[in-house]
Amino acid sequence: MTQHSFPGIEETRELLKKKRIVIAGVGETAQGKIPDKSSFHFLSEASKLAIEDAGIKKSDVDGLVTAFSLVEHTFMHCTTFADYFGMNPKFFSSVAVGGATAVWMAAEAAMAIASGQSEVVLCVRGDNTLSGISSSGMLALIREMCHAEFEFPYGLTTPGGYALAAQRYLHDWNSRPEHLASVAVTMRKHAADKENAMNKDPLTVEDVLESRVIAEPLHKYDCSIISDGGAAFIVTTEEKAKELGIENNLAYLWGMGQGYSHQYLTTLKDLEQIYGAVERSGQKAFTTAGIEPRDVDVAFLYDCFTITVLLELEGLGFVERGEGGPFALEGRMEKDKDLPVNTHGGLLSQAHLGAMHHVVEATLQLRGDAGRRQVDDAEVAVVHGNGGIVSAHSTVVLGNQPLM
Amino acid sequence: MAEEKAYNKPLPEFRPETKPFWDAAKEHRLVIPRSKKTGEFFFYPRALSPDEEMSEDIEWVESEGKGKVWTFSIHHMGPSKAYKGEPPYAVALVEMEEGVKIMSNIVDVDPKEVHIGMEVSVVFDDVTDEVTLPKFRPA
Repeated sequence: MTQHSFPGIEETRELLKKKRIVIAGVGETAQGKIPDKSSFHFLSEASKLAIEDAGIKKSDVDGLVTAFSLVEHTFMHCTTFADYFGMNPKFFSSVAVGGATAVWMAAEAAMAIASGQSEVVLCVRGDNTLSGISSSGMLALIREMCHAEFEFPYGLTTPGGYALAAQRYLHDWNSRPEHLASVAVTMRKHAADKENAMNKDPLTVEDVLESRVIAEPLHKYDCSIISDGGAAFIVTTEEKAKELGIENNLAYLWGMGQGYSHQYLTTLKDLEQIYGAVERSGQKAFTTAGIEPRDVDVAFLYDCFTITVLLELEGLGFVERGEGGPFALEGRMEKDKDLPVNTHGGLLSQAHLGAMHHVVEATLQLRGDAGRRQVDDAEVAVVHGNGGIVSAHSTVVLGNQPLM
Repeated sequence: MAEEKAYNKPLPEFRPETKPFWDAAKEHRLVIPRSKKTGEFFFYPRALSPDEEMSEDIEWVESEGKGKVWTFSIHHMGPSKAYKGEPPYAVALVEMEEGVKIMSNIVDVDPKEVHIGMEVSVVFDDVTDEVTLPKFRPA
């Protein structure tokens, strides 16, 4: 593990201490196969739920961060939604860094607020990916996930891209497919306690290993689900939240960071290049927050495939390189164990909307509103997003108290 | 003569800066771009070398086409209907003797035999009249 230096991080820390940027409201629609709702319907419904959760008026929102749709492609997604929803934001932005998007939406909202562009930013994603995507749309997505000219013609799929990373991981660390499978088992266990989750039936390591092979060494249950649904969160300051009479407990932003490794696997040198990107993203967020990995009470790690979680656990410094597999297999990511990970069931079992639900659940945990899933004394949470084929990374650290 | 079956899997769409690669492939030659300024190979081809020099002075060096499997995945599902009947097939990243990695298929071998470190050499698959895909087989 390398200790990176981040020039200017002290100033950022002081700014976050002073501004006290918070997530003050969250909303999530029903998730699953919901064929009678459009992408923009989900965006609107999730936005309304987050506004209602905060107990504010729609007109109190003066900033908007959206992402993209895999079904309804728009050139200017944020303003297309502003028009549909009926709002006139002072600040607007569409973030598009794949699975790193949701986490970076929170960061971008924070930067807009810290620089005086906006006071109350609605961050929202919604899509009818399961019901609305055509087979040509799916093929276009696979094409975009790899190099269209030098990778796609060889029949590479998206699970296949992650499988290439997984195969090398198993080789480098002498790990086994059951190490990967155990990640899915923990996510499924967590989803059982999440009402709004798609897959709740108990799952064993054997079930995963006996499920259909998609791209060796990844099986069906090593892969995340596809779903319809929306989710949103509202970013503001502690001061503004008080002024608006928001009664929710607040989740305070303590730090944020990004890390880039590669876009195409063809240019990946070795696994350490991926770890380095995760590590820089995490360390920047942790350093700003003034914490160490051991201070984290609950973690939300992007889990598009089981391999992703192991690379993140190790890159973020929760365990040493190569030790993620045994850590997962021993059940140490379960709710009451060493490091609870994805208490909502994640992309592997709850629903797939990038890391939106990871951010929402982190907020609920810090508020103490996670119900049966509540981690005792959850004071510090980390959320990590991953886009591309473990290419682009983003991390935020959140706390249940102001940054001190 | 066997019945001709149209090739309907995705084909590379050439860009001006990548065309020399595909032109060479059509002649059953594997060429890898190298910056004349730094002497460094890089892959995939770009108009400017992706190093600190950002040089447009690029040469295409003929490769012996030898490398080792750096990682691979046997695909049991293709990306589209065009791959019906094709799986299982091996997609691999081949680490070339030149140091760069090339993504391709490992062919002429039972996919079960493919492993990390396997020595492979290039073969050329004329998939259409216009396009030849470099692939690899056990050396």
